[in-house]
Amino acid sequence: MDIEEIRKLVALMVENDLAELDVSDGENKIKLRRGPSGEVVMGAAPAPVPAAAQAEAQPPAAVEGPGRDLVEIKSPMVGTFYAAPGPDSDPFVSAGSTVGPDDVVCVVEAMKVMNEIKAECAGQIVEICVTNAEPVEFGQVLFRVGPG
Amino acid sequence: MFSRILVANRGEIALRIIRACRELGIETVAVFSEADRDAGWLHLAKHRICIGPGPSAESYLNIPRIIAAAELSDVQAIHPGYGFLSENPHFAEVCRSCKIEFVGPSVEAMRTLGDKIEAKRLARAARVPVAPDSDGAVETVEDAVAVAERIGYPVAIKAAAGGGGRGIRFVHNEATLRSSLKQAQHEAEIAFKDGRVYMEKCVENFRHIEVQILGDMRGNVVHLFERECSLQRRRQKVIEEAPAFNLDSNIREEMCRAAIRLAKEVGYFNAGTVEFMLDEETNEFYFLEVNTRVQVEHPITEMITGEDLLKWQLRIASGEPLTLRQRDIAPAGHAIECRINAEDPARDFAPSPGRIEAFVAPGGPGVRWDSHIYQGYAVPPTYDSLLGKLIVHRHTRDEAVNTMRRALSEFVIYPTKTTVSLCRDVLNHQAFRKGRCNTAFIEREIVPSME
Repeated sequence: MDIEEIRKLVALMVENDLAELDVSDGENKIKLRRGPSGEVVMGAAPAPVPAAAQAEAQPPAAVEGPGRDLVEIKSPMVGTFYAAPGPDSDPFVSAGSTVGPDDVVCVVEAMKVMNEIKAECAGQIVEICVTNAEPVEFGQVLFRVGPG
Repeated sequence: MFSRILVANRGEIALRIIRACRELGIETVAVFSEADRDAGWLHLAKHRICIGPGPSAESYLNIPRIIAAAELSDVQAIHPGYGFLSENPHFAEVCRSCKIEFVGPSVEAMRTLGDKIEAKRLARAARVPVAPDSDGAVETVEDAVAVAERIGYPVAIKAAAGGGGRGIRFVHNEATLRSSLKQAQHEAEIAFKDGRVYMEKCVENFRHIEVQILGDMRGNVVHLFERECSLQRRRQKVIEEAPAFNLDSNIREEMCRAAIRLAKEVGYFNAGTVEFMLDEETNEFYFLEVNTRVQVEHPITEMITGEDLLKWQLRIASGEPLTLRQRDIAPAGHAIECRINAEDPARDFAPSPGRIEAFVAPGGPGVRWDSHIYQGYAVPPTYDSLLGKLIVHRHTRDEAVNTMRRALSEFVIYPTKTTVSLCRDVLNHQAFRKGRCNTAFIEREIVPSME
Protein backbone atom coordinates (compact mmCIF):
# COMPACT_ATOMS: atom_id res chain seq x y z
CA MET A 1 0.00 0.00 0.00
CA ASP A 2 1.76 3.18 -1.08
CA ILE A 3 1.34 6.75 -0.01
CA GLU A 4 -0.77 7.62 -3.07
CA GLU A 5 -3.29 4.94 -2.24
CA ILE A 6 -3.42 6.09 1.35
CA ARG A 7 -3.96 9.68 0.20
CA LYS A 8 -6.89 8.45 -1.89
CA LEU A 9 -8.37 6.61 1.08
CA VAL A 10 -8.09 9.69 3.25
CA ALA A 11 -9.79 11.80 0.59
CA LEU A 12 -12.52 9.20 0.36
CA MET A 13 -13.11 9.39 4.08
CA VAL A 14 -13.30 13.15 4.18
CA GLU A 15 -15.54 13.31 1.11
CA ASN A 16 -17.98 10.82 2.54
CA ASP A 17 -17.62 11.96 6.11
CA LEU A 18 -16.55 8.53 7.28
CA ALA A 19 -15.33 8.10 10.82
CA GLU A 20 -13.59 4.82 10.28
CA LEU A 21 -12.24 2.87 7.34
CA ASP A 22 -10.78 -0.62 7.48
CA VAL A 23 -9.14 -1.90 4.32
CA SER A 24 -7.63 -5.35 3.80
CA ASP A 25 -5.74 -6.29 0.72
CA GLY A 26 -4.33 -9.75 1.15
CA GLU A 27 -1.66 -9.31 3.77
CA ASN A 28 -1.85 -5.54 3.86
CA LYS A 29 -4.28 -4.11 6.32
CA ILE A 30 -4.83 -0.53 7.24
CA LYS A 31 -7.23 1.08 9.64
CA LEU A 32 -7.91 4.77 9.39
CA ARG A 33 -9.86 6.67 11.97
CA ARG A 34 -10.97 10.28 11.87
CA GLY A 35 -10.85 12.08 15.17
CA PRO A 36 -13.24 14.78 16.37
CA SER A 37 -10.90 17.47 15.11
CA GLY A 38 -11.25 16.03 11.63
CA GLU A 39 -7.70 14.64 11.56
CA VAL A 40 -7.13 11.23 10.14
CA VAL A 41 -5.04 9.05 12.40
CA MET A 42 -3.47 5.93 11.02
CA GLY A 43 -3.45 2.66 12.84
CA ALA A 44 -1.25 -0.13 11.62
CA ALA A 45 -2.06 -3.80 11.79
CA PRO A 46 -0.81 -6.74 11.49
CA ALA A 47 -1.41 -8.91 14.55
CA PRO A 48 -3.88 -7.63 17.14
CA VAL A 49 -1.71 -6.19 19.88
CA PRO A 50 -3.39 -4.56 22.88
CA ALA A 51 -3.21 -0.77 23.07
CA ALA A 52 -0.22 -0.20 20.83
CA ALA A 53 -1.87 -0.87 17.47
CA GLN A 54 -5.19 0.82 18.19
CA ALA A 55 -5.10 4.34 16.83
CA GLU A 56 -6.56 6.87 19.22
CA ALA A 57 -8.43 9.75 17.65
CA GLN A 58 -6.26 12.24 19.47
CA PRO A 59 -3.45 14.61 18.61
CA PRO A 60 -0.19 12.69 18.32
CA ALA A 61 2.74 12.44 20.74
CA ALA A 62 0.84 11.47 23.89
CA VAL A 63 3.42 8.84 24.73
CA GLU A 64 7.03 9.84 25.02
CA GLY A 65 9.40 7.50 23.30
CA PRO A 66 12.96 7.14 24.51
CA GLY A 67 14.05 9.46 21.71
CA ARG A 68 17.45 9.61 20.11
CA ASP A 69 17.55 5.89 19.21
CA LEU A 70 17.72 4.79 22.83
CA VAL A 71 16.74 1.23 23.66
CA GLU A 72 15.03 0.59 26.96
CA ILE A 73 15.90 -2.40 29.11
CA LYS A 74 12.72 -3.23 31.00
CA SER A 75 12.22 -5.46 33.99
CA PRO A 76 10.76 -8.85 33.01
CA MET A 77 9.50 -9.44 36.52
CA VAL A 78 8.25 -7.95 39.75
CA GLY A 79 10.92 -7.67 42.41
CA THR A 80 13.77 -5.68 43.87
CA PHE A 81 16.47 -4.19 41.66
CA TYR A 82 20.07 -4.66 42.62
CA ALA A 83 22.84 -2.94 40.71
CA ALA A 84 25.62 -5.25 41.88
CA PRO A 85 26.02 -9.00 42.45
CA GLY A 86 26.56 -8.46 46.17
CA PRO A 87 26.52 -5.66 48.73
CA ASP A 88 30.27 -5.21 48.59
CA SER A 89 30.72 -5.70 44.87
CA ASP A 90 31.01 -3.23 42.08
CA PRO A 91 27.86 -2.63 40.07
CA PHE A 92 27.46 -4.71 36.94
CA VAL A 93 27.36 -1.59 34.78
CA SER A 94 27.60 2.15 35.08
CA ALA A 95 26.79 5.06 32.83
CA GLY A 96 29.01 4.75 29.81
CA SER A 97 29.55 0.96 30.11
CA THR A 98 29.45 -0.92 26.84
CA VAL A 99 27.10 -3.90 26.84
CA GLY A 100 26.40 -6.81 24.55
CA PRO A 101 23.17 -8.85 24.45
CA ASP A 102 24.39 -11.53 26.87
CA ASP A 103 25.92 -9.19 29.42
CA VAL A 104 24.28 -9.16 32.82
CA VAL A 105 23.24 -5.60 33.64
CA CYS A 106 21.58 -6.13 37.02
CA VAL A 107 19.79 -8.53 39.31
CA VAL A 108 16.09 -8.48 40.09
CA GLU A 109 15.30 -10.41 43.23
CA ALA A 110 11.87 -11.98 43.52
CA MET A 111 10.90 -14.20 46.40
CA LYS A 112 14.48 -14.76 47.52
CA VAL A 113 15.58 -15.79 44.03
CA MET A 114 18.20 -13.59 42.38
CA ASN A 115 17.48 -13.30 38.68
CA GLU A 116 20.25 -12.03 36.45
CA ILE A 117 18.90 -9.67 33.84
CA LYS A 118 20.69 -9.58 30.49
CA ALA A 119 20.96 -6.52 28.29
CA GLU A 120 19.53 -8.27 25.21
CA CYS A 121 20.80 -5.39 23.16
CA ALA A 122 24.18 -3.86 22.29
CA GLY A 123 25.42 -0.36 22.99
CA GLN A 124 26.38 2.00 25.77
CA ILE A 125 24.49 2.56 28.98
CA VAL A 126 23.21 6.11 28.74
CA GLU A 127 20.94 6.18 31.78
CA ILE A 128 20.37 4.06 34.88
CA CYS A 129 16.71 4.62 35.70
CA VAL A 130 16.37 2.95 39.06
CA THR A 131 18.32 3.00 42.30
CA ASN A 132 19.84 0.09 44.17
CA ALA A 133 17.30 -1.92 46.23
CA GLU A 134 14.36 -0.17 44.61
CA PRO A 135 11.18 -2.24 44.06
CA VAL A 136 10.38 -2.60 40.38
CA GLU A 137 7.28 -3.73 38.57
CA PHE A 138 6.93 -5.71 35.36
CA GLY A 139 7.85 -3.55 32.39
CA GLN A 140 9.56 -0.85 34.42
CA VAL A 141 12.43 0.82 32.57
CA LEU A 142 15.75 -0.09 34.21
CA PHE A 143 18.32 1.23 31.75
CA ARG A 144 18.47 3.25 28.58
CA VAL A 145 21.06 2.13 26.08
CA GLY A 146 22.42 4.25 23.27
CA PRO A 147 24.32 3.23 20.17
CA GLY A 148 27.80 1.96 21.06
CA MET B 1 -8.06 -5.66 60.88
CA PHE B 2 -5.55 -5.58 58.06
CA SER B 3 -3.79 -2.35 57.30
CA ARG B 4 -2.85 -3.24 53.73
CA ILE B 5 -3.98 -5.91 51.30
CA LEU B 6 -3.31 -6.85 47.71
CA VAL B 7 -6.13 -7.13 45.20
CA ALA B 8 -5.33 -10.03 42.90
CA ASN B 9 -7.98 -9.41 40.31
CA ARG B 10 -9.27 -6.84 37.84
CA GLY B 11 -12.38 -5.13 36.56
CA GLU B 12 -15.55 -4.81 38.54
CA ILE B 13 -14.60 -7.16 41.35
CA ALA B 14 -11.27 -5.44 41.89
CA LEU B 15 -13.20 -2.20 42.21
CA ARG B 16 -15.67 -3.85 44.60
CA ILE B 17 -12.84 -5.08 46.82
CA ILE B 18 -11.15 -1.67 46.76
CA ARG B 19 -14.43 -0.04 47.80
CA ALA B 20 -14.82 -2.35 50.80
CA CYS B 21 -11.21 -1.72 51.78
CA ARG B 22 -11.61 2.03 51.58
CA GLU B 23 -14.54 1.86 53.95
CA LEU B 24 -12.61 -0.33 56.38
CA GLY B 25 -9.51 1.85 56.32
CA ILE B 26 -7.42 -0.81 54.57
CA GLU B 27 -4.78 0.36 52.12
CA THR B 28 -5.02 -1.38 48.79
CA VAL B 29 -2.32 -2.55 46.41
CA ALA B 30 -3.78 -3.34 43.02
CA VAL B 31 -1.83 -5.54 40.65
CA PHE B 32 -2.49 -5.11 36.96
CA SER B 33 -1.39 -6.38 33.58
CA GLU B 34 -0.18 -4.21 30.73
CA ALA B 35 -3.59 -4.58 29.11
CA ASP B 36 -5.11 -2.83 32.14
CA ARG B 37 -2.44 -0.16 32.51
CA ASP B 38 -4.82 2.74 31.90
CA ALA B 39 -7.79 1.27 33.75
CA GLY B 40 -9.77 3.61 35.98
CA TRP B 41 -10.19 1.40 39.06
CA LEU B 42 -6.43 1.50 39.60
CA HIS B 43 -6.70 5.13 40.58
CA LEU B 44 -8.80 4.17 43.57
CA ALA B 45 -6.13 1.84 44.93
CA LYS B 46 -3.42 3.35 47.09
CA HIS B 47 -0.65 1.60 45.18
CA ARG B 48 -0.45 -0.32 41.97
CA ILE B 49 2.07 -2.72 40.55
CA CYS B 50 2.33 -3.99 37.02
CA ILE B 51 2.88 -7.73 37.16
CA GLY B 52 3.02 -8.78 33.55
CA PRO B 53 1.75 -8.59 29.99
CA GLY B 54 -1.90 -8.99 29.05
CA PRO B 55 -2.30 -12.77 28.92
CA SER B 56 -3.68 -14.01 32.22
CA ALA B 57 -1.12 -16.79 32.55
CA GLU B 58 1.56 -14.15 32.79
CA SER B 59 -0.33 -11.78 35.03
CA TYR B 60 -3.51 -12.46 36.96
CA LEU B 61 -2.88 -16.20 37.05
CA ASN B 62 0.82 -15.91 37.70
CA ILE B 63 1.45 -16.94 41.28
CA PRO B 64 5.15 -16.02 41.54
CA ARG B 65 4.54 -12.54 40.19
CA ILE B 66 1.59 -11.90 42.44
CA ILE B 67 3.45 -13.14 45.50
CA ALA B 68 6.48 -11.07 44.55
CA ALA B 69 4.25 -8.00 44.36
CA ALA B 70 2.69 -8.90 47.70
CA GLU B 71 6.06 -9.20 49.41
CA LEU B 72 7.37 -6.07 47.80
CA SER B 73 4.42 -4.07 49.02
CA ASP B 74 4.36 -5.73 52.42
CA VAL B 75 0.68 -6.67 52.53
CA GLN B 76 -0.98 -8.77 55.19
CA ALA B 77 -3.50 -10.43 52.94
CA ILE B 78 -4.53 -11.05 49.35
CA HIS B 79 -8.11 -10.90 48.14
CA PRO B 80 -8.43 -13.10 45.05
CA GLY B 81 -11.89 -11.93 43.97
CA TYR B 82 -13.66 -14.49 41.78
CA GLY B 83 -12.28 -16.45 38.83
CA PHE B 84 -8.49 -16.37 38.30
CA LEU B 85 -6.80 -17.83 41.41
CA SER B 86 -9.76 -17.53 43.77
CA GLU B 87 -10.44 -21.26 43.88
CA ASN B 88 -6.85 -22.41 43.52
CA PRO B 89 -5.85 -24.22 46.72
CA HIS B 90 -2.19 -24.15 45.76
CA PHE B 91 -2.28 -20.36 45.59
CA ALA B 92 -4.01 -20.14 48.97
CA GLU B 93 -1.35 -22.44 50.37
CA VAL B 94 1.51 -20.39 48.94
CA CYS B 95 0.02 -17.19 50.36
CA ARG B 96 -0.35 -18.56 53.83
CA SER B 97 3.08 -20.17 53.82
CA CYS B 98 4.47 -16.71 53.01
CA LYS B 99 2.59 -15.42 56.04
CA ILE B 100 0.09 -13.61 53.84
CA GLU B 101 -3.54 -14.33 54.63
CA PHE B 102 -5.70 -15.53 51.75
CA VAL B 103 -9.20 -14.04 51.93
CA GLY B 104 -11.16 -17.23 51.61
CA PRO B 105 -11.60 -20.61 53.30
CA SER B 106 -8.98 -23.12 54.39
CA VAL B 107 -6.80 -24.85 51.82
CA GLU B 108 -8.34 -28.15 52.90
CA ALA B 109 -11.88 -26.94 52.30
CA MET B 110 -10.87 -25.59 48.88
CA ARG B 111 -9.22 -28.89 47.94
CA THR B 112 -12.13 -31.03 49.08
CA LEU B 113 -14.86 -28.86 47.58
CA GLY B 114 -12.91 -28.26 44.40
CA ASP B 115 -12.92 -31.97 43.70
CA LYS B 116 -16.52 -32.63 42.68
CA ILE B 117 -16.33 -36.28 43.64
CA GLU B 118 -15.03 -35.48 47.12
CA ALA B 119 -17.57 -32.69 47.44
CA LYS B 120 -20.42 -35.13 46.85
CA ARG B 121 -18.99 -37.52 49.44
CA LEU B 122 -18.90 -34.65 51.88
CA ALA B 123 -22.47 -33.70 51.00
CA ARG B 124 -23.61 -37.25 51.73
CA ALA B 125 -21.79 -37.20 55.05
CA ALA B 126 -23.60 -33.97 55.92
CA ARG B 127 -26.96 -35.48 54.95
CA VAL B 128 -27.30 -33.09 52.05
CA PRO B 129 -29.40 -34.57 49.24
CA VAL B 130 -27.35 -35.59 46.19
CA ALA B 131 -28.48 -36.80 42.81
CA PRO B 132 -28.03 -40.52 42.26
CA ASP B 133 -24.58 -41.01 40.81
CA SER B 134 -21.66 -43.30 40.17
CA ASP B 135 -20.35 -42.69 43.70
CA GLY B 136 -16.81 -42.08 42.59
CA ALA B 137 -14.86 -41.89 39.36
CA VAL B 138 -15.94 -43.96 36.37
CA GLU B 139 -13.05 -45.54 34.53
CA THR B 140 -14.18 -48.05 31.95
CA VAL B 141 -17.00 -48.01 29.48
CA GLU B 142 -18.47 -51.13 31.07
CA ASP B 143 -18.52 -49.44 34.48
CA ALA B 144 -20.22 -46.46 32.90
CA VAL B 145 -22.91 -48.58 31.26
CA ALA B 146 -23.58 -50.35 34.55
CA VAL B 147 -23.94 -47.02 36.38
CA ALA B 148 -26.30 -45.68 33.72
CA GLU B 149 -28.39 -48.79 33.99
CA ARG B 150 -28.65 -48.30 37.71
CA ILE B 151 -29.47 -44.60 37.74
CA GLY B 152 -31.31 -44.36 34.44
CA TYR B 153 -30.86 -42.14 31.38
CA PRO B 154 -30.35 -39.32 30.72
CA VAL B 155 -27.07 -39.08 32.60
CA ALA B 156 -24.48 -36.37 32.92
CA ILE B 157 -20.76 -37.16 32.66
CA LYS B 158 -18.97 -34.60 34.80
CA ALA B 159 -15.30 -33.83 35.29
CA ALA B 160 -14.20 -34.18 38.91
CA ALA B 161 -12.01 -31.11 38.56
CA GLY B 162 -14.57 -29.15 36.62
CA GLY B 163 -17.07 -26.69 37.96
CA GLY B 164 -18.96 -23.60 36.89
CA GLY B 165 -20.72 -25.54 34.19
CA ARG B 166 -17.51 -26.72 32.57
CA GLY B 167 -16.67 -30.32 31.78
CA ILE B 168 -20.26 -31.57 31.61
CA ARG B 169 -21.75 -33.76 28.91
CA PHE B 170 -25.31 -35.01 28.74
CA VAL B 171 -25.84 -38.53 27.46
CA HIS B 172 -29.22 -39.92 26.50
CA ASN B 173 -28.54 -43.51 25.59
CA GLU B 174 -26.05 -46.33 25.82
CA ALA B 175 -24.62 -45.87 22.34
CA THR B 176 -23.72 -42.25 23.04
CA LEU B 177 -22.37 -43.19 26.43
CA ARG B 178 -20.07 -45.78 24.90
CA SER B 179 -18.71 -43.29 22.40
CA SER B 180 -18.49 -40.30 24.77
CA LEU B 181 -16.77 -41.63 27.85
CA LYS B 182 -13.19 -41.74 26.63
CA GLN B 183 -13.56 -38.36 24.99
CA ALA B 184 -14.95 -36.84 28.17
CA GLN B 185 -12.01 -38.21 30.13
CA HIS B 186 -9.57 -36.92 27.56
CA GLU B 187 -11.13 -33.43 27.55
CA ALA B 188 -11.03 -33.32 31.31
CA GLU B 189 -7.36 -34.24 31.26
CA ILE B 190 -6.59 -31.41 28.88
CA ALA B 191 -8.79 -28.78 30.48
CA PHE B 192 -8.25 -29.55 34.15
CA LYS B 193 -5.15 -31.81 34.21
CA ASP B 194 -7.34 -34.39 35.88
CA GLY B 195 -9.02 -36.96 33.70
CA ARG B 196 -11.38 -38.30 36.37
CA VAL B 197 -15.05 -38.15 35.52
CA TYR B 198 -18.12 -39.27 37.41
CA MET B 199 -21.69 -39.81 36.30
CA GLU B 200 -24.82 -38.36 37.74
CA LYS B 201 -28.53 -38.63 37.12
CA CYS B 202 -29.49 -35.85 34.82
CA VAL B 203 -32.01 -33.31 35.90
CA GLU B 204 -32.20 -31.66 32.55
CA ASN B 205 -34.24 -28.58 33.19
CA PHE B 206 -33.90 -27.56 36.74
CA ARG B 207 -34.02 -24.37 38.72
CA HIS B 208 -30.58 -23.35 39.86
CA ILE B 209 -30.89 -22.17 43.45
CA GLU B 210 -27.91 -21.34 45.60
CA VAL B 211 -27.46 -20.40 49.24
CA GLN B 212 -24.98 -17.78 50.44
CA ILE B 213 -23.06 -18.74 53.55
CA LEU B 214 -20.62 -16.90 55.77
CA GLY B 215 -18.46 -18.59 58.37
CA ASP B 216 -15.83 -17.34 60.75
CA MET B 217 -12.67 -18.99 61.95
CA ARG B 218 -14.35 -20.03 65.19
CA GLY B 219 -16.83 -22.38 63.57
CA ASN B 220 -19.84 -20.06 63.42
CA VAL B 221 -21.73 -20.31 60.15
CA VAL B 222 -24.80 -18.41 59.01
CA HIS B 223 -26.69 -18.35 55.74
CA LEU B 224 -27.95 -15.25 54.00
CA PHE B 225 -30.73 -16.99 52.16
CA GLU B 226 -30.87 -18.02 48.57
CA ARG B 227 -30.51 -16.70 45.05
CA GLU B 228 -32.21 -17.97 41.93
CA CYS B 229 -29.83 -18.20 39.01
CA SER B 230 -31.80 -20.22 36.48
CA LEU B 231 -31.57 -17.65 33.72
CA GLN B 232 -28.45 -18.84 31.96
CA ARG B 233 -27.06 -18.99 28.51
CA ARG B 234 -24.61 -21.77 27.78
CA ARG B 235 -24.41 -22.40 31.50
CA GLN B 236 -23.31 -18.85 32.24
CA LYS B 237 -25.65 -16.86 34.45
CA VAL B 238 -27.34 -13.87 32.88
CA ILE B 239 -29.99 -12.77 35.38
CA GLU B 240 -30.20 -13.58 39.06
CA GLU B 241 -32.74 -12.78 41.73
CA ALA B 242 -33.09 -12.92 45.49
CA PRO B 243 -35.08 -14.38 47.06
CA ALA B 244 -36.00 -17.20 44.65
CA PHE B 245 -39.45 -16.57 43.26
CA ASN B 246 -42.27 -18.93 44.15
CA LEU B 247 -40.08 -21.15 46.26
CA ASP B 248 -41.90 -23.23 48.83
CA SER B 249 -40.78 -21.97 52.23
CA ASN B 250 -40.12 -25.49 53.48
CA ILE B 251 -37.80 -26.16 50.58
CA ARG B 252 -36.07 -22.85 51.23
CA GLU B 253 -35.52 -23.76 54.84
CA GLU B 254 -34.31 -27.24 53.96
CA MET B 255 -31.81 -25.89 51.45
CA CYS B 256 -30.46 -23.24 53.79
CA ARG B 257 -30.09 -25.72 56.64
CA ALA B 258 -28.41 -28.20 54.31
CA ALA B 259 -25.95 -25.52 53.21
CA ILE B 260 -24.99 -24.82 56.80
CA ARG B 261 -24.57 -28.52 57.60
CA LEU B 262 -22.26 -28.88 54.63
CA ALA B 263 -20.23 -25.84 55.62
CA LYS B 264 -19.79 -27.09 59.15
CA GLU B 265 -18.89 -30.58 57.94
CA VAL B 266 -15.83 -29.19 56.17
CA GLY B 267 -15.01 -26.47 58.72
CA TYR B 268 -15.80 -23.76 56.20
CA PHE B 269 -14.97 -20.16 56.95
CA ASN B 270 -15.29 -16.91 54.97
CA ALA B 271 -17.82 -16.52 52.14
CA GLY B 272 -19.11 -19.42 50.10
CA THR B 273 -22.10 -20.46 48.06
CA VAL B 274 -23.77 -23.86 48.06
CA GLU B 275 -25.49 -24.54 44.74
CA PHE B 276 -28.48 -26.82 44.32
CA MET B 277 -30.58 -28.00 41.42
CA LEU B 278 -34.29 -28.05 42.06
CA ASP B 279 -36.27 -30.51 39.97
CA GLU B 280 -39.49 -28.61 39.32
CA GLU B 281 -41.50 -31.69 38.64
CA THR B 282 -40.66 -33.64 41.76
CA ASN B 283 -39.74 -30.70 44.04
CA GLU B 284 -36.61 -32.61 44.96
CA PHE B 285 -33.40 -30.68 45.26
CA TYR B 286 -29.89 -32.00 44.87
CA PHE B 287 -26.46 -30.68 45.74
CA LEU B 288 -24.58 -29.32 42.76
CA GLU B 289 -21.34 -27.80 44.03
CA VAL B 290 -19.85 -25.27 46.42
CA ASN B 291 -18.17 -22.10 45.18
CA THR B 292 -15.45 -21.31 47.68
CA ARG B 293 -15.28 -17.60 46.95
CA VAL B 294 -17.38 -14.47 46.65
CA GLN B 295 -19.64 -14.67 43.62
CA VAL B 296 -20.46 -12.30 40.81
CA GLU B 297 -24.08 -12.09 41.95
CA HIS B 298 -23.32 -11.30 45.59
CA PRO B 299 -24.99 -7.83 45.34
CA ILE B 300 -28.53 -9.17 45.29
CA THR B 301 -27.96 -10.89 48.63
CA GLU B 302 -26.46 -7.67 49.95
CA MET B 303 -29.54 -5.73 48.90
CA ILE B 304 -32.10 -7.99 50.54
CA THR B 305 -30.15 -8.51 53.76
CA GLY B 306 -28.46 -5.14 54.08
CA GLU B 307 -25.11 -6.84 54.70
CA ASP B 308 -21.83 -5.97 52.96
CA LEU B 309 -20.36 -9.34 52.02
CA LEU B 310 -16.96 -8.02 50.99
CA LYS B 311 -16.50 -6.29 54.32
CA TRP B 312 -17.44 -9.49 56.08
CA GLN B 313 -14.88 -11.38 54.02
CA LEU B 314 -12.16 -8.99 55.14
CA ARG B 315 -13.24 -9.03 58.78
CA ILE B 316 -13.36 -12.81 58.86
CA ALA B 317 -10.00 -13.16 57.15
CA SER B 318 -8.42 -10.86 59.71
CA GLY B 319 -9.68 -13.16 62.46
CA GLU B 320 -12.72 -11.24 63.62
CA PRO B 321 -15.77 -13.20 64.73
CA LEU B 322 -19.03 -13.27 62.86
CA THR B 323 -21.23 -11.03 64.95
CA LEU B 324 -24.19 -11.79 62.73
CA ARG B 325 -26.71 -14.13 64.24
CA GLN B 326 -29.00 -16.17 62.05
CA ARG B 327 -32.10 -14.72 63.66
CA ASP B 328 -30.91 -11.20 62.86
CA ILE B 329 -30.73 -11.87 59.14
CA ALA B 330 -34.10 -11.18 57.57
CA PRO B 331 -34.56 -10.77 53.84
CA ALA B 332 -36.48 -7.67 52.83
CA GLY B 333 -37.90 -6.94 49.42
CA HIS B 334 -36.82 -8.40 46.12
CA ALA B 335 -33.61 -7.86 44.18
CA ILE B 336 -32.74 -8.65 40.57
CA GLU B 337 -29.37 -8.48 38.85
CA CYS B 338 -28.67 -8.33 35.12
CA ARG B 339 -25.13 -9.06 33.99
CA ILE B 340 -24.19 -6.80 31.11
CA ASN B 341 -21.55 -8.34 28.82
CA ALA B 342 -19.71 -6.88 25.85
CA GLU B 343 -21.24 -9.38 23.46
CA ASP B 344 -23.33 -8.96 20.33
CA PRO B 345 -26.61 -10.87 20.60
CA ALA B 346 -27.22 -10.36 16.88
CA ARG B 347 -24.01 -12.19 16.04
CA ASP B 348 -24.31 -15.19 18.30
CA PHE B 349 -22.89 -13.23 21.22
CA ALA B 350 -19.56 -12.58 19.54
CA PRO B 351 -17.32 -10.54 21.86
CA SER B 352 -17.38 -6.78 21.33
CA PRO B 353 -14.15 -5.36 22.79
CA GLY B 354 -12.77 -1.89 22.09
CA ARG B 355 -13.18 1.65 23.28
CA ILE B 356 -16.49 2.75 24.76
CA GLU B 357 -17.01 6.09 23.06
CA ALA B 358 -20.25 7.04 24.75
CA PHE B 359 -21.53 5.76 28.06
CA VAL B 360 -24.30 6.73 30.43
CA ALA B 361 -25.21 4.55 33.41
CA PRO B 362 -28.75 4.07 34.72
CA GLY B 363 -29.70 5.51 38.08
CA GLY B 364 -32.55 6.58 40.27
CA PRO B 365 -34.32 4.89 43.16
CA GLY B 366 -33.70 1.22 43.75
CA VAL B 367 -30.86 1.04 41.23
CA ARG B 368 -27.25 -0.07 41.83
CA TRP B 369 -24.63 -0.29 39.06
CA ASP B 370 -21.50 -2.28 39.94
CA SER B 371 -19.01 -1.74 37.18
CA HIS B 372 -15.50 -0.66 36.27
CA ILE B 373 -16.43 0.88 32.93
CA TYR B 374 -16.82 4.51 31.96
CA GLN B 375 -16.83 6.61 28.86
CA GLY B 376 -13.47 6.29 27.16
CA TYR B 377 -12.65 2.93 28.72
CA ALA B 378 -11.13 0.45 26.31
CA VAL B 379 -12.51 -3.06 26.88
CA PRO B 380 -9.54 -5.36 26.37
CA PRO B 381 -10.12 -8.49 24.26
CA THR B 382 -7.99 -10.55 26.63
CA TYR B 383 -10.39 -11.20 29.49
CA ASP B 384 -14.03 -12.04 30.14
CA SER B 385 -16.71 -9.84 28.65
CA LEU B 386 -18.44 -8.66 31.81
CA LEU B 387 -18.95 -4.88 31.68
CA GLY B 388 -20.95 -4.56 34.84
CA LYS B 389 -23.89 -5.67 36.91
CA LEU B 390 -27.16 -3.80 37.05
CA ILE B 391 -28.97 -4.48 40.30
CA VAL B 392 -32.39 -3.29 41.44
CA HIS B 393 -34.01 -3.68 44.82
CA ARG B 394 -37.64 -2.93 45.59
CA HIS B 395 -40.35 -4.07 48.01
CA THR B 396 -41.95 -6.50 45.59
CA ARG B 397 -40.85 -8.54 42.61
CA ASP B 398 -43.28 -6.76 40.29
CA GLU B 399 -41.87 -3.41 41.24
CA ALA B 400 -38.31 -4.72 40.89
CA VAL B 401 -39.08 -5.99 37.39
CA ASN B 402 -40.56 -2.63 36.50
CA THR B 403 -37.56 -0.74 37.85
CA MET B 404 -35.16 -3.07 36.04
CA ARG B 405 -36.94 -2.46 32.74
CA ARG B 406 -36.72 1.27 33.29
CA ALA B 407 -33.05 1.08 34.28
CA LEU B 408 -32.09 -1.09 31.29
CA SER B 409 -33.68 1.43 28.96
CA GLU B 410 -31.50 4.21 30.38
CA PHE B 411 -28.24 2.64 29.26
CA VAL B 412 -26.24 4.44 26.62
CA ILE B 413 -23.30 2.29 25.53
CA TYR B 414 -21.76 3.06 22.15
CA PRO B 415 -20.38 1.57 19.95
CA THR B 416 -19.85 -1.52 22.09
CA LYS B 417 -22.45 -4.20 21.54
CA THR B 418 -23.93 -5.51 24.77
CA THR B 419 -26.40 -7.96 26.21
CA VAL B 420 -28.71 -5.16 27.40
CA SER B 421 -31.16 -6.20 24.69
CA LEU B 422 -31.05 -9.83 25.83
CA CYS B 423 -31.87 -8.79 29.38
CA ARG B 424 -34.62 -6.50 28.19
CA ASP B 425 -36.21 -9.31 26.16
CA VAL B 426 -36.13 -11.64 29.15
CA LEU B 427 -37.62 -9.02 31.45
CA ASN B 428 -40.42 -8.41 28.96
CA HIS B 429 -41.27 -12.07 28.55
CA GLN B 430 -44.50 -13.36 30.07
CA ALA B 431 -42.86 -16.41 31.58
CA PHE B 432 -40.28 -14.32 33.36
CA ARG B 433 -42.86 -11.97 34.81
CA LYS B 434 -44.70 -14.99 36.15
CA GLY B 435 -41.47 -16.40 37.52
CA ARG B 436 -41.66 -19.57 35.48
CA CYS B 437 -38.18 -20.03 34.14
CA ASN B 438 -35.73 -22.87 34.31
CA THR B 439 -32.19 -23.23 33.02
CA ALA B 440 -33.36 -23.89 29.46
CA PHE B 441 -35.44 -20.73 29.21
CA ILE B 442 -33.06 -18.26 27.61
CA GLU B 443 -31.74 -20.61 24.97
CA ARG B 444 -35.19 -21.89 24.09
CA GLU B 445 -37.34 -18.81 24.24
CA ILE B 446 -35.15 -15.74 23.89
CA VAL B 447 -32.04 -16.47 21.84
CA PRO B 448 -33.81 -17.82 18.72
CA SER B 449 -35.71 -14.58 18.24
CA MET B 450 -32.55 -12.53 18.53
CA GLU B 451 -30.80 -13.93 15.51
